[in-house]
Amino acid sequence: MNVLEIRNLTKKFGDFIAVDNMNLSVSEGEIFGFLGANGAGKSTTINMISSLLRITKGEIQVLGRNIVKENKFSKMNIGIVPQDLAIYEEMTAYENVSFFAGLYGLRGSLLKERTEEALEFVGLGDKHKALPKSFSGGMKRRLNIACAIAHHPKLIIMDEPTVGIDPQSRNYILNSVKKLNQMGCSVIYTSHYMEEVEDLCTRIAIVDHGKIIAEGTKEQLKSIITDTKETWIGVKNAERLDLDALKRTTGVNSVRLEEQTVKIVSKGEINNLNWVIQQLIRDQVEISSVEEQAPNLETVFLTLTGRNLRD
Amino acid sequence: MNVLNIALFEIKKSLRDKRTLIFMLAFPIVLILILGTALTNAFHNGVAVGDMKLLVKNTAQSQQLQSYWNGFAQAIGKEGVELTPAANGIDGKEAVQNNQFTAYAEIDDNGVHFYGSSRQTISSNIIQGMLTSFADKYSLAAAAVKNDPEAAQAIIAGSMSAGSFVQEFSIDPDRKPGSIDYYAIAESTMIAFYACMSASWLIRGEVKRKTALRLVAAPIGKMEIFAGKVIASTIINFLCILAVVVFSKYAFNANWGQHLGFVFLLLFTEVLLAVSFGLGIAYLFKDDAVNAVMMIFVQVASMIGGAYFPVDEASGVFGAIANVSPLRWANEALMSLIYNDDLQAVFPVIGLNTAIAAAFLAFVAITMRKREAF
Ligand SMILES: Nc1ncnc2c1ncn2[C@@H]1O[C@H](COP(=O)(O)OP(=O)(O)OP(=O)(O)O)[C@@H](O)[C@H]1O
Ligand SMILES: [Mg+2]
Repeated sequence: MNVLEIRNLTKKFGDFIAVDNMNLSVSEGEIFGFLGANGAGKSTTINMISSLLRITKGEIQVLGRNIVKENKFSKMNIGIVPQDLAIYEEMTAYENVSFFAGLYGLRGSLLKERTEEALEFVGLGDKHKALPKSFSGGMKRRLNIACAIAHHPKLIIMDEPTVGIDPQSRNYILNSVKKLNQMGCSVIYTSHYMEEVEDLCTRIAIVDHGKIIAEGTKEQLKSIITDTKETWIGVKNAERLDLDALKRTTGVNSVRLEEQTVKIVSKGEINNLNWVIQQLIRDQVEISSVEEQAPNLETVFLTLTGRNLRD
Repeated sequence: MNVLNIALFEIKKSLRDKRTLIFMLAFPIVLILILGTALTNAFHNGVAVGDMKLLVKNTAQSQQLQSYWNGFAQAIGKEGVELTPAANGIDGKEAVQNNQFTAYAEIDDNGVHFYGSSRQTISSNIIQGMLTSFADKYSLAAAAVKNDPEAAQAIIAGSMSAGSFVQEFSIDPDRKPGSIDYYAIAESTMIAFYACMSASWLIRGEVKRKTALRLVAAPIGKMEIFAGKVIASTIINFLCILAVVVFSKYAFNANWGQHLGFVFLLLFTEVLLAVSFGLGIAYLFKDDAVNAVMMIFVQVASMIGGAYFPVDEASGVFGAIANVSPLRWANEALMSLIYNDDLQAVFPVIGLNTAIAAAFLAFVAITMRKREAF
């Protein structure tokens, strides 16, 4: 059964269409990646799934049941990790988790057990009595997750759970996601970090302007762009680069500069490396390395949306 | 069950908010102490209590009484009491009822008969205090004349100096409010109304903190959240008021009268009114305007409601504005209850508070249902 089924989903804010006739299904046991640039409509979609926003048009089903008609059922089965931290700073870690779990009907010893379990799970087992005020960004993010899992939801939706945290906490969170998945949870995961999504997700949807413009496994997505290739050229004096001239070079689709590397996406069938290098020489740019890239998700995303995943 | 959970959590959360808690407790107590002691003289001089107009009908035959009365009249004239001899045929009581005078006194050889205004309670209580002390001194002097004429002279002479009548009036705290008594009432009703400040954050705070998202995503109704929050806020604020009242009663000896149950009932409905009002304002105004609107309303209502200085019988524009201050209703009703044992004064205010609270709560509930989230 599909744990989530989205049909012709539309959300309008006034005249602005934030989610545009979206169709999507997530099977049980998947870690599903939701990729999109800022403002693509990821959070809006997630907020409709979690009943924060009303659906303008279309339908959402959780475990085969309509979320509007069977609101309680879908809510019981969803755990939401919001993009923004949603915790009470003046209440202890334990009180936070226990309060939210209590809203799902947990009481007494079961509530206690599940609260402890959730805190243990995110590595805050020794912080029951601590106030989030005293937490690092990473610890707050982990508490944010603990608040969403104590009621054992079937579907966990994580909206950028790793924003602004240290690498250690990030690894911890990524491993937690995998563990939750092994324990039988389906996960919807949005992130601006391509490598996270590439590492975690069994399937990925690319969202742009409220629409899903591509969907599939990593391999399926990469195969979309066999007609393009990406070349990385290491340079010493990047300030001399004339990016516009480079973009006008035959066969070049897009150019971007990341630190000391020029990343050039070109049409697959044209060998334009000579012209590219000639242009660089004309600009008196010193070349240190040239690498042909295997197709990766970053390129896929860039090719399909014309935007970088991160601004 | 959910309502209870939410209410308990909210109460716990409020108890953690030490700053607000200390403010709610210390602010009124400090004000009672400062205003109550600093303005003692203002109270006794009648400066802050507004006009004191006494209508007098003097039919006394006794020479001694006449001359003593004249001295007294001069002395209280200096205290700010304006004496008017009653013309023949005037019904003094009616004149007071019509608010032309603060009080009406009839002096005959049997003594002084006093009729005070129920609208200008403070001023009339002060005048009553003066007259009581006049009567006491007179009978003392009259008794002294028989045994020791010199002592009588001394008593009368001492009484003629300005100030000596009025200083007596707070000696009998059961019948007229001293400044501590007054401010204990005024600051309690003020701080009860301050509940609107924290109440305006009840839902807004969840939205700002983003925890609203979790509340909406959870399998509970919006109305459960709403009810839990209102209950919690009312309880926690009422407990603060309770503490202030009890503290002022035992630490400052403030007079809260014989009907504490009704005092608390009235204060409870005022807290409920304030909580509902705060929530309502949060839904009526844009988020960034809410604080300002609330602050202005609370300050103005406090001022014209008598939290900083007694407003007795205000007239004109000021009077009209003053009447929309919930603090004023509460203060007047409590004064009547405590000093005149007037239970009838309390019920209309309790009813009014409850009705307005219900209106605000209904408005918020409906708006909340309509909204996408909160
Ligand atoms: N309440 C709202 N009212 C009006 N417009 C909104 C509202 N919420 C979101 N939008 C708009 O809808 C679009 C999609 O926003 P959304 O938050 O879903 O993007 P996102 O994909 O989650 O982006 P990000 O990666 O920055 O979180 C944006 O253009 C945003 O400005
Ligand atoms: Mg988002």
